[in-house]
Amino acid sequence: MTKNKKILAVAIFLLAVFFVVPLLIGATGRKDFYYTLTSVALLSIASAGVWLTFYIGRINIGQGAYALMGGYVSAVLVMSYGVSFWWTLPIAGILCAIASIAIGFPILRLRGVYFAMVTLVLTEVTRLLALALPITSGAKGITSIPLPGALSIFGVTIVPDFATMENPRIAFYYLAVVLMTLCFAGMYRLVNSRIGHICMSLQQNEELASSIGVNIAYLRIIAYAISSFLGGISGAVFVAATQSVYPSSFTVTDSVNFMLNCFLGGLGYVFGPMLGTLVLYFGWNLLFETGRFQLLIYSTLMIVLMLVLPNGILSLRSLWKKG
Amino acid sequence: MEQVLANGLYLGAQYALIALGLTLIFGLMNVLNFAHGQMYVLGGFITYYVYGQLGLPFVLAVLASGVTLAIIGGFMERYLFRTVIKRSHREESTMLLAAATAFFFDAVILLMFGEKQRGVPKIVKGVFNDFGVILPYDRIVVAIVAAALILGFIAFMKYTKPGRAMRALAQDRVAAQLMGVEVDRYTMIGFALGAMLAGVVGGLLVSITGMNSGIGGPISIKAFMMIMIGGAGVVGGAIAGGFILGMMESVGLTVLREYGDVTYLVIFATLMVFLSIRPNGLMGKPWG
Amino acid sequence: MTQILEVKGMTKRFGGLTAVNDVSFVVNEREILSVIGPNGAGKSTLFKLISSFLKPTSGEVTFKGQRISNLAPHISARKGVVRTFQETTIFRNMTVRDNVIIAHHLRSRASLLGYFLGTKTARQDEAAFGSSADEILEFLGLNTIASEVAKNLPHGHLRALGIAIGLATNPTVLLLDEPFAGMNHDETMKAVAMVRKLRDRGLTVLLVEHDMPAVMKISDRIVVLNFGEKIAEGTPTEIQNNAKVIEAYLGVEDEAIGL
Repeated sequence: MTKNKKILAVAIFLLAVFFVVPLLIGATGRKDFYYTLTSVALLSIASAGVWLTFYIGRINIGQGAYALMGGYVSAVLVMSYGVSFWWTLPIAGILCAIASIAIGFPILRLRGVYFAMVTLVLTEVTRLLALALPITSGAKGITSIPLPGALSIFGVTIVPDFATMENPRIAFYYLAVVLMTLCFAGMYRLVNSRIGHICMSLQQNEELASSIGVNIAYLRIIAYAISSFLGGISGAVFVAATQSVYPSSFTVTDSVNFMLNCFLGGLGYVFGPMLGTLVLYFGWNLLFETGRFQLLIYSTLMIVLMLVLPNGILSLRSLWKKG
Repeated sequence: MEQVLANGLYLGAQYALIALGLTLIFGLMNVLNFAHGQMYVLGGFITYYVYGQLGLPFVLAVLASGVTLAIIGGFMERYLFRTVIKRSHREESTMLLAAATAFFFDAVILLMFGEKQRGVPKIVKGVFNDFGVILPYDRIVVAIVAAALILGFIAFMKYTKPGRAMRALAQDRVAAQLMGVEVDRYTMIGFALGAMLAGVVGGLLVSITGMNSGIGGPISIKAFMMIMIGGAGVVGGAIAGGFILGMMESVGLTVLREYGDVTYLVIFATLMVFLSIRPNGLMGKPWG
Repeated sequence: MTQILEVKGMTKRFGGLTAVNDVSFVVNEREILSVIGPNGAGKSTLFKLISSFLKPTSGEVTFKGQRISNLAPHISARKGVVRTFQETTIFRNMTVRDNVIIAHHLRSRASLLGYFLGTKTARQDEAAFGSSADEILEFLGLNTIASEVAKNLPHGHLRALGIAIGLATNPTVLLLDEPFAGMNHDETMKAVAMVRKLRDRGLTVLLVEHDMPAVMKISDRIVVLNFGEKIAEGTPTEIQNNAKVIEAYLGVEDEAIGL
């Protein structure tokens, strides 16, 4: 895509997301779509993190652990220490990143299915920890979390107190979408910069990357930390939106779904996770009408999609280009 | 003490069978069969239906489970996995397919059998009570059957033509092809065999612990853990992993009972530490 | 002649197999030294040991007096001992030029964050890498195919690209793993000339090879391995007349060992 086309695409996207969607929702009165789309945006951020670990050649089925961690960090800070939600966001992300560095150290050298399986286990461990630790209040979770307060910088109120809003859902929607945009903008920049090329070199040939001086272990940990940061933030906002967090808020199924979102969108494309999350989440919700056949139809469609487009939806682009 | 040991052995034998199926599929295709737990559940339900509902002999029921799952497994390899493997750029794409099949199984099982816990009449009544060990007879029978199947499997892999072909494939696909091994056919047989093992264990265990539709996922995770411990793609690793996990569970449930769910937390933590030292499990083949 | 690299008592065991057994030799600055030996003699293993991709069971490698055998491979590379690969390993989906540009990693002055943010240092780096890459490509005769995707290249060009990637790191010692493999006579002569140019550029070249005429033509000195042990060391003439070497290669045509 040429530069102008890219700018146009971005403009259309921003327009659609910030203006068109709210307009349409207002017109059709489907206010529940706010929640759905907020979820899509937040989940796509977590999926973007998983995508990044794929980028350095690892299969990450443990993002749910960091989403849960981030959610709890935010909840505990807000409830027990009265910290403003806006501060808990970066704190949750950073704490998750730090945790991931400690965890990543021993496990990032594992490859393929071994790494995948360990990360799968990680999500379960986090859930069990949430059940067991006193600070997380065990199985009853943390509920009645107040809505985010106002966000003001230098006395200027950028975001009013959520409690004063008529429909805080809209505010959460905008928050989620802003974060999603920032996240993917960052990812795009990362992938197209030198760092991205170095990560690709790692994917393609680890030995060669070593021989040109790339510190593989270091790079992996950084990528994993960023990935977990994204997971933590996603979880924190989610918990604020649902105003509660339980040990079962993010389970192994969610971790698997984050991974699936990446696959479906296409692992070779930065925006894959966004598209994948949209399709899978929306698809799942739309199928709700089918009642008890929901899971059956959903999984059948997924299988069919895999057979037809094994490289993800965005691989249609390259097929398109060829033809 | 002996009780813990006995329980551990009993669990271990079942788990080893599950792990064997999973590791066979992984060794042959580098595919992690996410649906393995669901296959176990389906096997259990088939036996429930044939033995519990239709009243046919238990052996026939377990056989039915095995055969059905074998057919399903073969079908999955031939029409689903083979297609995706051929056409995808990345080896990990099969994971999405595997996950989708797991969901599919879950959906079908739920539709066909509902959410209720199901059980079947005991196959052998009575309890063994000696040497400080209390173990119901049916568990002993099932454990012996499982052990026999494990030995049978090992013998099959070692001495029969299909077994040797599959081992060759698992070791070095290209070399095996060059030596004339029909890759497609034996991959399909392997997957079918792996599925069959899962189904058979399900059939055996439904007579002991019953079955419900929700345990597919957790069983899959347990199977993964066994593979992690013992190492993927290697028969010995699966057996070792199965017995070790069985033992750890038995010990944990007895010793750590007061602390609730801590058993698995401890197992996980130990696993992570263990894997940092031995990334490929006890005897696993390295990925890639 | 100053000594720049020294291999001391290098031994590597894999389980029960001893791949390299107590091998010692020195490499002098700006020298072209070849390591030869029959198949399975341990040459590749020795190479991996020297470039820190394998850790020795015992023994060490020193570079400019400093021990490098216990360092991580990327640090060894940073110190100036760089290896090219036997499997003509390159970054398949990138263009030739991009392959060489990315290999400049060791010359980066900006940090990773700098590259992400696009700071001035980062941009200066990128510009410098670009021109350096162009210079290297021209030096090796690859400039005409600079925008070809690497996986489409024929063997000869792939080899040259592998060397170009090595050069981008600004090495002091370059380890070439079978640079002449699979080449016909003309291609080999061109490659020989290229290796000479590397030395003229100031590099020390250590190479592993099977192609005897090429080795005899280009080497200042040769080390011969057999069954993991060093059986001879000397100039090409000395090696050609060495009874042990001839015996090791027994059954091979006279022409093949350059006689």
